[in-house]
Amino acid sequence: MIDTQLSRRAFLRSASAAAKNSIIVLGLPAILVSCERSKQAILNNEEFSVLTEEEAQELHAVAARIIPTDETPGATEAGVIYFIDNVLNDKREAEHETLRIGLREIQIAAAQKFNVSYFHELEPEQQDQLLTEFENTEFFGTIRFLTIAGMFSLPEYGGNRDKVGYELIGFEDRHAWQPPYGFYDADYAQRGE
Amino acid sequence: MAEASTQPSYSTREEVDFVIVGSGAAGGVMAKELSTAGFSVVVLEQGPHLKAADFKHDEWGYDVNKDLTWGARQGYPQTFRKSVDEETVTRESVLDYAHNVGGSSVHFSGNFWRFRPIDFMEASVRGPIAGTNFADWPISYDDLEPYYTKVDWEVGVSGLAGPWDPPRSREYPCPPMPVKSSDVLLERAAKKMGLTPYPAPVAILSQPHNGRPGCIHCGFCNGYGCEVNAKSSSMASMIPLALASGNCELRTGCTVSRVNTDENGRANEVLYWEEDGTEQAQLAKAVVLCANGAETPRLLLASESEQHPNGLANSSGVVGTNLMFNGYSTAVGLFDEPVNAHKSVPATRVLHDFYELDPSLGFYGGGGIDARHFSAGRPMNMALAGGLLGNGPTWGSEYKKNLQKEFTHTAAFDGHTTSLPLATNTVTLDPVLKDKWGRAAMRTTYSDHPDDIATMKFFYDKTMELLDVAGATKSVGFYAEDGQEGNVHLLGTCRMGNDPSTSVVDKFNRSHDVENLFMVDGSSLVTSGRGQPTMTIMALAFRAADNIIQFARRGEI
Repeated sequence: MIDTQLSRRAFLRSASAAAKNSIIVLGLPAILVSCERSKQAILNNEEFSVLTEEEAQELHAVAARIIPTDETPGATEAGVIYFIDNVLNDKREAEHETLRIGLREIQIAAAQKFNVSYFHELEPEQQDQLLTEFENTEFFGTIRFLTIAGMFSLPEYGGNRDKVGYELIGFEDRHAWQPPYGFYDADYAQRGE
Repeated sequence: MAEASTQPSYSTREEVDFVIVGSGAAGGVMAKELSTAGFSVVVLEQGPHLKAADFKHDEWGYDVNKDLTWGARQGYPQTFRKSVDEETVTRESVLDYAHNVGGSSVHFSGNFWRFRPIDFMEASVRGPIAGTNFADWPISYDDLEPYYTKVDWEVGVSGLAGPWDPPRSREYPCPPMPVKSSDVLLERAAKKMGLTPYPAPVAILSQPHNGRPGCIHCGFCNGYGCEVNAKSSSMASMIPLALASGNCELRTGCTVSRVNTDENGRANEVLYWEEDGTEQAQLAKAVVLCANGAETPRLLLASESEQHPNGLANSSGVVGTNLMFNGYSTAVGLFDEPVNAHKSVPATRVLHDFYELDPSLGFYGGGGIDARHFSAGRPMNMALAGGLLGNGPTWGSEYKKNLQKEFTHTAAFDGHTTSLPLATNTVTLDPVLKDKWGRAAMRTTYSDHPDDIATMKFFYDKTMELLDVAGATKSVGFYAEDGQEGNVHLLGTCRMGNDPSTSVVDKFNRSHDVENLFMVDGSSLVTSGRGQPTMTIMALAFRAADNIIQFARRGEI
């Protein structure tokens, strides 16, 4: 159902309403541990296969604004940049080129607006301001797609480390379930409907 | 492999009784029926023979890389246009189907509604619809019922017989699946509205049957292969029996390019490429095309010759026309308590109260409603949808917060609807674009009939109302108001009929033009049904096989 999903996606993107009450999935110590581990990974500079160090650093900074680290882990903890490097190396030269061109443009904008050479040198608020301006570009569409994919795909592709993405949305990747699955079927069984 | 040791190895230069092109829902049934009846059978399948152990919960691999369905990434781009007046655009994929043993029955959702008696005679009951090829079938529900029952028992279907169900000669072999929260919400709302929800029939085993295990409710049905063989794909249910017969050779990685005919116009040879590009030609006494509603007409059109200038079996010019999809709508609601619709099978309740819409509405249509997870339980697709009930943020902290409740606390009420057959909706050969083999790429020309869109809207409105009654705190919905531009249900392109000038196969799925050529798959369907065609495709395959066996034994092929 690829096309219906795309159209649905387009629709849902423009839908209006707001969800309330986030659920904090991880306790604070767990977040600190995973943040720490991820920081080390970036510092240790796990080898990138197609991204240059600069591209990695910049795209990592963009991904970290798309799914930021707040009360819960974000793109950084999920190792999204490693996922991106990995899948760009899998017959995705065109997407890599889109990202390269976009990065150059965003760096020019960073220099003009904030007088810095690199996106990752900006304050988070400045980064958000720039990204908002780039929201409708192919660059942003591509990096948003890859960031979300890296957050929620199988860890073997390099992202979703420790399944932090799954945990964020309450998805437990198990191979077997038994009823009750949720509140309403438990209630249904209890009432003997 | 034990099964491999029983496989014969036929020479391509000696005639086998049957070559079957495609091993999907219909091809698997056909292979099993013909081979266990003692005929020599070669099955040609484009993709690999994946087994339960090969399947993973791999959203990136299946949805993005298209590891199962294939697209431009694998060398199979397609083109699309809404009408002949439009330029075509090249797409990753337009008509989506799996390339593996078992075809799309491996990764489908397993919803297994039978067609109802009305589906076979609706044109005469309701009257013709101007500008369409809406027609009765040359067979009735009663003709097909024994074969529906055969599918129930041999392929494996779970459900509950009752007054809501079409007439049946035998109970289901397996009881219905345990109800899910999403379906409790649907059932309660429907009952409040005076409707009649009932347990959804599914091609997934609720308990062990025919040596296969029951479902473990992992939730990865739609878009994924079953990891325990509880889903009743033809790969799990039929192919093993075909291979055990000792008469069936399954050749995987074989892409068929053409069906040749002899001087008498009979099909006698099937040309194909092996994976490494080696060309082969298998001789056969008869050929059965089970390649699906997209590939079967494409292959016939590509098999044109002096004797068959419009393409094989196409003296009518009907091959590739009347493409039908089934319409679709969805309404997604947020609920206070956990729904967890991502667990277990896609749907456990169905509503068929709107199977036939009142003609006084001013348009033709009908369908069914079931409850599902809005992204088929897929985390990445859910997240890409951008905060379902969110007010626009598609990234950042707010977006991220919205995601946290939506995966577990939503239910989607989906409409599955009719699609009218139109001469202008077609599968043809693209005159420019080629696939990796240098063949003309598949070109789809398609626009939903206005009645199809009106029907989708009716179901959209009805499901939004159901969500409201169910107590959703927020809801949002969708239907293709501008019409669909691709699908996974590929129907009607070699329609069945008594009149050789308006149909491609007769009521036994035999080509009107070529007596030893049979088309058995979604392409035979005269009307679209209400959204779940695979049960009918398999029943038609059992019926066609039954007749083909009798023809062959009487020397009538």
